[in-house]
Amino acid sequence: MSTSNLVSRRGFFNRVSDGLYGAALAGLISKDVYGASLEGARRSYDLKPRRPDFEPKATSVIQLFMHGGPSQMDLFDPKPTLDKHHGEAYFDKVAADLTAPEGAGGLLRSPFKFARHGQSGTWVSEIMPHLAKQVDDIAVIKSMFTTHPNHEPALFMIHSGRIIGGRPAIGAWVAYGLGSESQNLPAYVVLDDPMGLPVNGVQNWQSGFLPPVYQGMRLRSVGSPILNLQPERKQAAELVQAERDLLSRLDLIHKRNRPGQLQLDARIASYELAARLQVDASDALDVSKESKETLALYGVGEQPSDSYARRCLMARRLVERGVRYVQIYINGQIWDNHSQIEENLKTACARTDKPVAALLQDLKQRGLLDKTLVLWGGEFGRMPIAQFEKNARDAGRDHNPRAFTLWMAGAGIKPGISYGMTDDVGYEVAEHPVSVTDWHATILHLLGLDYRQLVFDQSGLKEKLTSVYDARIVREVLA
Amino acid sequence: MGFRTFHLALGALTACLVSLAEVPAFESSVLPILQSNCIECHGEKVRMKDLDVGAYDRLMRGSESGPVVVPGKPDESRLYQLIREGKMPAGKPRLSEKETGAIRAWIEGGALPSGAGKKVEAAALNQHDVIPVMLLRCTACHGPRRQDGGLDLHTRAGMLRGGKSGPAMLPGNSAGSLMMRKMQSGDMPPKKGLLDAGVKPVTPAEMEKIARWIDAGAPEGNVRPDVASTESDPLVSDKDRQFWAFQPPRAAKPPKVAHTSRVKNPIDAFVLKKLEDKGLTLSAEADRLTLIRRAYFDLTGLPPEPSEALAFQANPDPLAYEKLIDRLLASPRYGERWGRFWLDLAGYADSTGGKLSADTIRPFAWRYRDYVIRSFNSDKPYNRFLLEQIAGDELENYEIAPVVTPELMDNLIATGFLAMGPDSTNEREVNFVDDRLDVIADEVDILGASVMGLTMKCARCHSHKYDPIPQRDYYRLLDVFKGAYDEHDWVPPLTAEKYGRTFSGRYLPYVTPLATPFQLMQEQRARELQAAEARVRTAALQEELKQKAEAATKRVFEQRLAELPKELHEDLRKMFTTAADQRTEPQKELAKKYESRLRVSPRELRRVDAAYAKEADEVDRQVKAFAAQSPDPKIHALWDRGEPSPTYVLRRGSPTNFGQLVGPGVPSVLTDGKTPFVVKPPWPGAPKTGRRLAFAQWLVRPDHPLTARVMVNRIWKEHFGTGIVTTMANFGKAGAAPTHPELLDWLAVEFVVQGWSVKAMQRLMMTSGAYRQDSKIDSIHEEKDPDNALLSRMSLRRMSAEVLNDTMLLVSGRLDEARYGAPAPVQVRGDGLVTPVEAGKGWRRSIYVQQRRSNIPTILDNFDFPAMTPNCVDRVDSTVATQALHLMNNGMVDDMADSFAGRVKQEAGSDPKQQVEKLYWMALSRPPDDEERKLSLEGLAKLSLGRLCHTMLNSAAFLYID
Repeated sequence: MSTSNLVSRRGFFNRVSDGLYGAALAGLISKDVYGASLEGARRSYDLKPRRPDFEPKATSVIQLFMHGGPSQMDLFDPKPTLDKHHGEAYFDKVAADLTAPEGAGGLLRSPFKFARHGQSGTWVSEIMPHLAKQVDDIAVIKSMFTTHPNHEPALFMIHSGRIIGGRPAIGAWVAYGLGSESQNLPAYVVLDDPMGLPVNGVQNWQSGFLPPVYQGMRLRSVGSPILNLQPERKQAAELVQAERDLLSRLDLIHKRNRPGQLQLDARIASYELAARLQVDASDALDVSKESKETLALYGVGEQPSDSYARRCLMARRLVERGVRYVQIYINGQIWDNHSQIEENLKTACARTDKPVAALLQDLKQRGLLDKTLVLWGGEFGRMPIAQFEKNARDAGRDHNPRAFTLWMAGAGIKPGISYGMTDDVGYEVAEHPVSVTDWHATILHLLGLDYRQLVFDQSGLKEKLTSVYDARIVREVLA
Repeated sequence: MGFRTFHLALGALTACLVSLAEVPAFESSVLPILQSNCIECHGEKVRMKDLDVGAYDRLMRGSESGPVVVPGKPDESRLYQLIREGKMPAGKPRLSEKETGAIRAWIEGGALPSGAGKKVEAAALNQHDVIPVMLLRCTACHGPRRQDGGLDLHTRAGMLRGGKSGPAMLPGNSAGSLMMRKMQSGDMPPKKGLLDAGVKPVTPAEMEKIARWIDAGAPEGNVRPDVASTESDPLVSDKDRQFWAFQPPRAAKPPKVAHTSRVKNPIDAFVLKKLEDKGLTLSAEADRLTLIRRAYFDLTGLPPEPSEALAFQANPDPLAYEKLIDRLLASPRYGERWGRFWLDLAGYADSTGGKLSADTIRPFAWRYRDYVIRSFNSDKPYNRFLLEQIAGDELENYEIAPVVTPELMDNLIATGFLAMGPDSTNEREVNFVDDRLDVIADEVDILGASVMGLTMKCARCHSHKYDPIPQRDYYRLLDVFKGAYDEHDWVPPLTAEKYGRTFSGRYLPYVTPLATPFQLMQEQRARELQAAEARVRTAALQEELKQKAEAATKRVFEQRLAELPKELHEDLRKMFTTAADQRTEPQKELAKKYESRLRVSPRELRRVDAAYAKEADEVDRQVKAFAAQSPDPKIHALWDRGEPSPTYVLRRGSPTNFGQLVGPGVPSVLTDGKTPFVVKPPWPGAPKTGRRLAFAQWLVRPDHPLTARVMVNRIWKEHFGTGIVTTMANFGKAGAAPTHPELLDWLAVEFVVQGWSVKAMQRLMMTSGAYRQDSKIDSIHEEKDPDNALLSRMSLRRMSAEVLNDTMLLVSGRLDEARYGAPAPVQVRGDGLVTPVEAGKGWRRSIYVQQRRSNIPTILDNFDFPAMTPNCVDRVDSTVATQALHLMNNGMVDDMADSFAGRVKQEAGSDPKQQVEKLYWMALSRPPDDEERKLSLEGLAKLSLGRLCHTMLNSAAFLYID
């Protein structure tokens, strides 16, 4: 019998449900209905905790997604050659990758000074003074590359493994593979910026062909964390309670008259989870319960870091509560510095540097960094040549898929290292290339998941996060 | 790792030994191994993966993925890799170490034909090694559509002819050939024009190959496109064709059963037979109120009015149920329910989707939606329905039709079927050849999964792993569509003005059918007036904005000036208002120092001045809105453009790794493998290939193995909750076996016999005893038919997203049943909640609400409305907390509950008992039972009637259909 047959035969009870109830359902199925275990096939799609393939280093992930494509040669990867050859023509070498050839100029030196920091001597530019103090906790990969020079496809790639939409995000794969440790919160949470969604919108955290229960749940950091979480129409508490009681009694009668219809149980459970969410989701995001020192450490209440700081702090609170995968987004494309890179990069760092460094420090002092994997990076890098360079003030850089820098920290990561190398100008990877696929396989590996085994059967095709591409676990950055 | 290192070491050792010993001879030492182990699948007769190892030259030609032997490099040779890893021979014992070693040594020794001596010659090149490079790199500007410099490089003759600067190619002399020189110098393709042309630079390897071909005298070669012939197909065997789904359906006689009284039509005989084999029978017939509700939802997507339910319950006519089904099949709501079914398969959306997030609106897509609804309402025969959708443009000569008939218009609108997928190639950054191939691949997936029940996408990169679909067949299919979808001669999906050029999109004009010339003239006049008005209003808006921009620019200038030393202000102002060439020397100095700080570009203005940005955005929005009420009605369509580019198999799916030239064809496994695919122009002198028409005619042959089976299985699923084949889009070997194979075939044959009438099939299914069963599960069901695969009862089903939304609207009296036409817009609230905009009497049915891929109304999204990437072949029913939150807390649901209460009050007055009765009848088409009545009345003592209605809309009894 093919596995897809098994999947479809689950139609008789609810195929997809969330919350604890899934566990009970799955238990019921395996014991009472199917008897012996059916190897390899998943019998229910729920969020109960699942055993990884092997002992994991990390049990949760916080991904700090730096939307727009942070400039490697202005942040982590200094290029003295650019200073030497500033202004010289380079267009022909990079023409095939430019998204806007009209504005191309000559080689552009970084407006920022670099220094080595920490015991590790990691290079960091002057505009990240806070992270500079935490470099001994992070592993910088300077030899990342991707396959498309546009935001949308590159975002699909970094989030879901291919340059096309419609595939599950990595967080959805992790939720599918590991379930949630929290009974009252989703496994995969997205903290998007109240100022606006990233490119590709909600598709960034979709479940694709995986059941919708694994989709990232947006928890809004301002106002109500989930759409429809609180009643739009305010009513007296006792009336709300009275309606709920009536509904649950009517539903129980309905269910009693229909014995054996398991989807009705799942539905009742979903109403119970909804009620718990109303309380717990709000509580998890309530940073006012944090100490003054913690708030100050992150930069809450200070501008321009306040908004991002809140989300970093919320991420820590969610991870503490057992949420598996947290993604933090920032509005617009603050790292997409086509013009005025000097000014714009400074602003981007001012908004994020302090909160990010504080998150590392805070996780560490609470002992959470040992089991939490922190990821920092964008969808691609930037070009060594200038764009829109009417003058130094206006100059920026175009997208560059051939090289970018990101870093990883925490659980299972070798701290204080830099890995990989780009060429003299930072255009292409020169040594130890790491593909997005490799990076994905490495993240799954740290979570105790084998990227080759984490599959979903789609009409006979065993789909994987890494799709059809070859992957390599980047062991050099592992502790 | 360890193993690998060891192996490499061993390899090196073997290499040493080999160089000392003799290299094994191919004929005597290697060929016998291949012949006894591999030839069964990779020989002359059966050539899986297009590989034949039976002779030296054929082995060296390689497989569909390219060469399998790299002389001197065993570790890079696919042949050796797979044998070493034990992956080949498949399903047989590994080759011995001696055999493996011999193959390795032979490759290492240079992979020579026999013993020592002759070298492997580089394969002789012909024009088909070069033309695909031209298509990729050159023909966008020097091709059939556009001949810059008078040059057309898409054929060998064109290269010889050359352009204004003389011949582009001199056979035998690559160094003297102009096209070579232009490429080698890097002038061509021009770097600055790459993005606009959708071209990537030519690679050194490609240049080397072209040069080699020219130096060899630019031979044409004698290559015919690979197409099906009268000789048997070596890539697909007759054994492959034996699989049930690849054989034409044959109607079995309905079996004899014990419970004859339960047999209402042959369906029941097939179902009962399986049940009786297990000691089961059909469940009792559901009561009439359950039946009418079930039938209403299944055929119209909406519940019956209480009066209809009551009348049906009391109807003494023994044929009352059959008559009910007939009445519902004739309802105009029927097409709205069943049109949606088809739109899922087509991947219908009102926006482009694709690789960029603009998700631009497709302003004319809705005509296709209306076509689908009307086709279902008129019970258009399914074979005709497919012909129109796949090849409508090749059915009749629309370009010179004397009268534009409704049929003619329908034919063209129908072609939207394979133009609905995600496609953002109207943006140049994602309009390269591989992006276009992604669009085509989506459409092929849509066709395969929805109509043919085959997952074809695997074969884009390699032969299918489970099903006998060679990669060749995928590219033959692409060649069928090449006349309309040519990645080297591309029509973007939308008309756009960009980068100083106008691109005309995939549109054909819409003409009101049967209109007289006078009417058409009047229509045209009205449109011109509307366009003129739009132009005037747009110009006025832009003028107003220009003035605002001037004011804002002044504001910003003053702010910036204020940051500079006061004593300079006067001089700076003067400098700023003096034209650059009129400035004095000191002014020039000032300008050099300060001008860029003071000047603000329109783009920058939006960034620095929030108030202005808001106004400018609003003007943009209004201008777009004017442009969107496009005065010229159009059709979003697909049509053959006559002379498509040649099609090559793309090894591993990569557009730069081209293999064999292929012609049009259908999957070999669905034919006898010995019949050519005959294509002829659709009418004499037609400027069209006729390939899609030939394909569509093949697809709707009465004995086609899949077409009828796949469709009846889909109809079955809509009525019974699961398909007879549960993997809706996969009837192949990795799909599920049918639970009732004889029934499936009987239905498929009956479908064709009844003239491909969908309604006839539904009448048959819905009047069966199997359909009329109740949905109660008892212990014997749990024991013997737990997943209801045998149909021992009806399945309990949840309302789909649209049914839920539309039913809430109907029950609350807020449903606006305006039919057809442009979709109702949606609005996005600050927090991201998406709702349709209220208009007229309330809200339109979900099918008439704009389906922008990125803005699906939240309630539909929550209840599993599918993301169209590219389409949906089988909806999932999830049960998640966000659904509960939506129904409990959403304000629109509150409003609907209040309207519902208003209706209840109007009909029942103020008596709580009467109210509860009415409320149940309206929402559930039945009276409350005693317990429900008591609880509801108690509830009404505490809660308002509106909240009781709200509770009802939240209840399981409302959401689930028995």
